Amino acid sequence: MSQSKVLSPIPGVFYRRPSPDEDVYVNEGDAVSAGQVIGLVEVMKSYFEIKAEVDGVIESFAFENEDSIDAGQEIAVINVK
Amino acid sequence: MTVARYEYGGDEFVFVELSETMDLNINFKAMAITSQLKEENLPGILDICPSNASYMIRFDPDRIHPDKLISKLKELEQSVSIDDFEISSRMVDVPVLFDDPWTHEALMRFRDRHQDPDSTDLEYVARINGFDSKEELIKAITDSPYLVSMIGFVPGLPWCYQMVPRERQIEAPKYVRPRTFTPERAFGLGGAFTVIYPVQGAGGYQLFGTAAAPIFDKDQRTYDFKDSITFPRQGDIFRYRSIDQKEYEEIRKTVEDGTFRYLTKDITFTPKQVLDDPKGFSEEVLRRLYA
Amino acid sequence: MIHVINPGLETTVQDTGRIGFYEVGMPPSGAMDKYSYTAGNLLVGNNESAASLEITYLGPELEFQEDTIIAVTGGEIPPKINGESVPMWEALEIKAGDKLSFDFVKQGARVYLAVAGGIDVPEIMNSRSTYTLCGIGGLNGGKLQVNDKLEVGNEKIRDVKPGTRIADHLIPSFDKHHEIRVVLGLCSYRLTEESKDRFFSIDWKVTPEANRVGYRFKGERLNFVEREQPFGAGSNPSNVVDLGYPIGSIQVPDGVEPIALLNDAVTGGGYATIATIISADLNKLGQVKTNETVRFVSVDIDEALAARNEVKEKLAEIKQNLSK
Repeated sequence: MSQSKVLSPIPGVFYRRPSPDEDVYVNEGDAVSAGQVIGLVEVMKSYFEIKAEVDGVIESFAFENEDSIDAGQEIAVINVK
Repeated sequence: MTVARYEYGGDEFVFVELSETMDLNINFKAMAITSQLKEENLPGILDICPSNASYMIRFDPDRIHPDKLISKLKELEQSVSIDDFEISSRMVDVPVLFDDPWTHEALMRFRDRHQDPDSTDLEYVARINGFDSKEELIKAITDSPYLVSMIGFVPGLPWCYQMVPRERQIEAPKYVRPRTFTPERAFGLGGAFTVIYPVQGAGGYQLFGTAAAPIFDKDQRTYDFKDSITFPRQGDIFRYRSIDQKEYEEIRKTVEDGTFRYLTKDITFTPKQVLDDPKGFSEEVLRRLYA
Repeated sequence: MIHVINPGLETTVQDTGRIGFYEVGMPPSGAMDKYSYTAGNLLVGNNESAASLEITYLGPELEFQEDTIIAVTGGEIPPKINGESVPMWEALEIKAGDKLSFDFVKQGARVYLAVAGGIDVPEIMNSRSTYTLCGIGGLNGGKLQVNDKLEVGNEKIRDVKPGTRIADHLIPSFDKHHEIRVVLGLCSYRLTEESKDRFFSIDWKVTPEANRVGYRFKGERLNFVEREQPFGAGSNPSNVVDLGYPIGSIQVPDGVEPIALLNDAVTGGGYATIATIISADLNKLGQVKTNETVRFVSVDIDEALAARNEVKEKLAEIKQNLSK
């Protein structure tokens, strides 16, 4: 089984939820499909959606909600279906 | 009077603080110095920005050395006097709907950022300035005209200082933490200055009402914007006039169909006229504006 | 014509800026890193004030609909033509139908895309720069959108051979920690001596609120000299009677987080400004990213002017090399 790494293209603050009162987009172990939003990065007062690039299952997140993140850092690993 | 401070703003700006305290005298002095500087048309001067109790110059250091500029400015501080300074500007009728639904909605949304979450901005400012009601506060604002003492923050925003003696100045702190939203054309007060917010955006002034007509129009749709996308000019005299909802809507209609035009009259006056008899000057302004 | 397939995060049309309207509250806008912007125009044979695209963090995907020469300068957001890596700081040939895209940002924060002839949008108050806050300038007053079409102008004044490069020693490199030089002054008298020292002795971390309007920094609280607030200033010790803010000036609202005001900033307000970033280092700050750190270094006016001359000399050297 191969793995796909989801990288952040921009620096900022990483969010796992669409808003503070809502549930996380996805949990570790959840199935995701290509194009599905798995988190947000906030920078310059705007939010950039982080999307899965492949169909698969979330293996792990490298960051917690509201962690600072740099461009090019690995956000999550997806086990490709 | 305090000693002026001449400060470098990096290698492209010089900032001159004439006084730490706001005063009409000082504002006229900044106006007089900067208008003299404009007339002299020195090479290398890019921007001349008079402000409330200070002014700022942007220059090209390849064409004028900052120290040469500063000695020029110090000379002007000595040679320019407000006694023989004449201001040619406009008196403007500025209709405002006080206690309006839009600023009310905005100020209620940000109560947690305010000094007094349990009253409205009008009630709070009325109380701390010793007025018995918000109506009395509105009356004090609309009774005497304001001098446009500075333009800035965003394009066209007029800082206005009321032409009344110090003891009658209305003063209020800004919000504890600034709002992230202020509606377009909101009329507010902070420190000793009233402003109209040209466009929606962040802001920290106490909110009292909404001006019916724009002061900024990037599309230059009405008469007052035919030469510029901003309306107010430093030295203008604004009279805020309290209007009712019906008149507000009528004005909005004329703004939208492009026929609105501010009621303005030209005026030439001297600082001395204002400083010697603010009450008489105010009455004269109102009489001539509405004649 | 250039077709915008994907606009990137914040891609705007910028030039040298809208100078001369500060008095009415109009900030200059314009390229944040003027050195890289100017080098780009020189590489494609343009007037130095031709409009380019300023690309922040995440590059756009563009399809060129005419043959032309382009150059990508600035931080390192590696460009690709039809998926193949191409060098930065070099005049590149691009053909009608070619697609320009970018990899993830490696260093710096912004790159400039110069196109021979410049980007042609209407001039507003003598500039093509975008000022998004008021919807002025650029293409429709805002950042680029999907499916936008950009016209190419006629600001090309000389031919430059494709493959012409900027000499290595004239290409800046960017770290994650930055030294930014400032001239202390303006209302610095409001800070306590201890806070002035602290301002220059700690590393300030750039928050996510860092854009063309300003950069906000996290570090520690700074304190103001106690005084009875002067009439008209407002009640907070960080308040002053509203005054003009120079581009590059730094203020500390409530003493909590310093903010450096940049090209699209508010032109004035009621917070004490304590120092101004020198023009040479405004270019550098434009390449600083969120989460990186900045140490402010105090210089005097002569050092600021010398640094400015260094930038000018480098650009003169580029010009001279290109005209060989």
